[in-house]
Amino acid sequence: MPSLTVSKGSTDKPAPSSAVCPFCALLCDDLGLNQRPDASFTVARHGCSRAAAGYARAPLASEALIGGRSVPLDEAIGVAATLLKRARQPLFGGLATDVDGIRACVNLAERCSAVLDHVHGDALASMSRMLQARGWYATTLSEVRNRADLVVVIDVDVSQRYENFKRRCLDARPAPGNAPGKGREVVFIGAGKRAPEALAADTTLSCRSENLVEVLLALLATLRGQRLAARRPAGAAAGALADLAAKLREARYTTFVFTPAALAEHREPAMAAIGDLVDELNRTTRAAMLALGGDDGGQSAVNTCAWLSGFPLRVGFGQTLQYEPQAFATRALLDSGAIDALLWIDAFGEQATPPPDAPLDRTVMLASSRPSVAAQCGVFIPVGTPGLDHFARLVRTDSVVTLPLAQQRDSGLPSVAGVLTRILEKY
Amino acid sequence: MLTRLKGGRIYDPENGIDGEVRDLYLRNGRIVEAPADPREAKEVIDISGRVVMSGAIDIHTHIGGGKVNIGRMMLPEDHAKDLVGANRHPHLGCGHAAPSTRTAGYRYAEMGYVACFEPAMLAGNARQTHMELADTPMVDKGAYVLLGNDDYLLRALAAKRDAEFLRDYVAWTLNASQALAIKVVNPGGINAFKFNQRKLDLDEKNAGYGITPRQILTALADSVRALGLAHPLHVHGCNLGVPGNVETTLDTIRGLEGLRAHLTHVQFHSYGTEGDQKFSSGAARIAEAVNAAPNVSLDVGQIMFGRTITESGDSMRQYAGSAYADPKKWVGMDIECEAGCGVVPFRYKDRNFVNALQWAIGLEMFLLIDDPWRIFLTTDHPNGAPFTSYPHLIRLLMDGSFRRDMLATINPEAQAATTLGAIDREYSLYEIAIMTRAAPARSLGLKGFGSLAPGARAHITVYKDQANREKMFAKPDYVFKDGQLIVRNGRVVEEVHGATHVVHPDYDSAIERELDTYFDRYMTVRKDNLRVTDDEVRDDGRGELVVHPTKRST
Repeated sequence: MPSLTVSKGSTDKPAPSSAVCPFCALLCDDLGLNQRPDASFTVARHGCSRAAAGYARAPLASEALIGGRSVPLDEAIGVAATLLKRARQPLFGGLATDVDGIRACVNLAERCSAVLDHVHGDALASMSRMLQARGWYATTLSEVRNRADLVVVIDVDVSQRYENFKRRCLDARPAPGNAPGKGREVVFIGAGKRAPEALAADTTLSCRSENLVEVLLALLATLRGQRLAARRPAGAAAGALADLAAKLREARYTTFVFTPAALAEHREPAMAAIGDLVDELNRTTRAAMLALGGDDGGQSAVNTCAWLSGFPLRVGFGQTLQYEPQAFATRALLDSGAIDALLWIDAFGEQATPPPDAPLDRTVMLASSRPSVAAQCGVFIPVGTPGLDHFARLVRTDSVVTLPLAQQRDSGLPSVAGVLTRILEKY
Repeated sequence: MLTRLKGGRIYDPENGIDGEVRDLYLRNGRIVEAPADPREAKEVIDISGRVVMSGAIDIHTHIGGGKVNIGRMMLPEDHAKDLVGANRHPHLGCGHAAPSTRTAGYRYAEMGYVACFEPAMLAGNARQTHMELADTPMVDKGAYVLLGNDDYLLRALAAKRDAEFLRDYVAWTLNASQALAIKVVNPGGINAFKFNQRKLDLDEKNAGYGITPRQILTALADSVRALGLAHPLHVHGCNLGVPGNVETTLDTIRGLEGLRAHLTHVQFHSYGTEGDQKFSSGAARIAEAVNAAPNVSLDVGQIMFGRTITESGDSMRQYAGSAYADPKKWVGMDIECEAGCGVVPFRYKDRNFVNALQWAIGLEMFLLIDDPWRIFLTTDHPNGAPFTSYPHLIRLLMDGSFRRDMLATINPEAQAATTLGAIDREYSLYEIAIMTRAAPARSLGLKGFGSLAPGARAHITVYKDQANREKMFAKPDYVFKDGQLIVRNGRVVEEVHGATHVVHPDYDSAIERELDTYFDRYMTVRKDNLRVTDDEVRDDGRGELVVHPTKRST
């Protein structure tokens, strides 16, 4: 083997001065933190309300519970292994964890023939379905920041769900090329007044959420030069549609921004319409879409599960793999009664409560916060928050950049991966 | 413990051994000298009559990173036909065109491969790529990082920054992304597509920066030379798939002016415009140029008929190719002011003139290039075909009558348009061992690989000598990795984790400050968060880091 050499810089730790925030899929990496006496943090720089809430949680006491009774961690791990071993069909749900947590989930799922789904599984599955049905042309955060001279935000209050998106991708347009041209125009299509105001949108095409798909399709038809039968499709003036179509044609690089989770029941047709709008524009100019989503480790779960199994979640492990994007939805599995044990994982503290009719006595809960149902769970094991209590890697909303999250405090709480690996050893 | 592999027929081109019957001795993961008394070997494996080569190396295979994972997620229908059960491999998996990481590792090992190199890693996606590689068991691996479409480099070229500065940037990128080599894909073209240019010829200016692909190629090839990397600049040229691109490729070879370069998947870059369909083979002209240019090596990117998926950083050309997606779906992306990608499912049909001629062009290329030390066996997995088709490809190269039989089954116009039927050359076992072992090891600077001499790592593949070379190469009797028996009769018997091969050339730390400023102003991630640490590559024991020397390493 060649001799090992060390060159300068090769072992640098991620910069300690700025923290990477794990509390949404934007993974802002320029936060300034101040630690409080209870080991929680205040966000001094570049925070948002979600970051503030997440960092304000103090680490849990390292007290595991079995049926509400406090026990040593070892005992809880043993009982968890037994509970999973006795199950015929366990579901690993929530899955709000980091890449290593998902790796450990997959290894354990192979042993106990479990099914994997994420707490945001419905929105994630819609994205997978779009990918598998038609594909898309997508872009990433830095491209939007620099390249997009027209950003169309679709029916979601980005400023509320992803506060820092505006700061990072809409406010400045540094544009490294020598042909940046004009600045950036922001258009909002959808319901409500608050969103366009908060985004400082230059143009708003108002419509009710339930009419969004119709408006998008009318815009597509206008772009294609087709005549609209309706004078005001879904209440939108034909003139406004024509103006927006002209803007889209003239723009050099349009980005359609949307949040699959917020599109609710109109999600899939709306996403398909956005895909069609992008394809139409790419015939003559440049356009792409950016989906904001995959919070609570969702993007990490989808990607890690895909490289290890070939399938983007809702996959069952048995003698072979089984991919059932509808039947293996958490809701569907609970409704059908097919599940006789649940491993519920939430390391970020926002999704700790399992769905209402989960079989709590046969639930192993790994969480970084302690919901009231924790005491009713078969086993409750407190875990650390990725990027606060232990080093972690998380995949960003655009599925390209994976951030390293340095440990910020020494709580002694184990990681999800650590706990699951020990359960596997006891299994 | 000393192990003796007794009586095998050795093909070890690195040491000039062509089919001699010799014993091999292994100890502590290495090949060692024969002891004075053969009885010192506590373990003796009789491999009399069998063919012995070192472990194979795939120099260009898309096995990890963002676009590969998009391919996996896109193709549940392809996976469903190829599920790998718990009774077959140590872990579940699936996939023929876009296999899961573990399945890819097991299947490579089962074909006698011990190292695989992901040729298109983005710096911005390097962390994920390395995690996928860490989850690819059995084989050693490494990755080539993409440069040449990043706004930072184009900006530096437009500002006429000096060669020293470019070298520092290249060296920083290699360190930050933990790469082994530099690759350029459609130089400047992916960036140009973001400015809505739909093609970019070798001397055409990128609209954003006024820089040409030729300038980018020369600058990067020169940086790679100056840093003293073992592997030359890995080049996916302009105009992939465009009829007439043979001229671009010949221009590219001339434009290197003697600088070393590796031209990848050249089959896709060797098309003329002759004939009724304005699509013809340029293989003979490329082969002639390559035969006369000792600074150039290449891999073929052979296509095979059937379903697969094409995964490329070349968003510009994949956009054009998306019209032929089968099934009708595809993904394109513009990525982080750095790169792009296009993922397009595809079906190569033997009855289709263009596909059939692509198949013939690849084989012509293999057979017309004289020096097997400069041509490597690839299908550009999965772009030309999944890597599992290598045994079939080897048979096509080694067996002239089989090749002519196959030729007779393809599109008749393509048969008429290729000279393949008139080429009698058959590859020997020695030449196969060169192109799949010794030559890639040398090209990548992998000391101890591709050799069966004492001191080499004990990577050994033992095949039953069969007239049907496809059967022979599909299922080795034994595969040893670092002296450990990992495959027996074509099945994994021991799961091991491979190392990751990287270079860490030094650079002037002044560039760090400049990059910090650039990242803070333009990017949405801080510079230091792109850096993948050594510990991350080791990944809690999943991996091991092997840092290879360069001219600029301290």
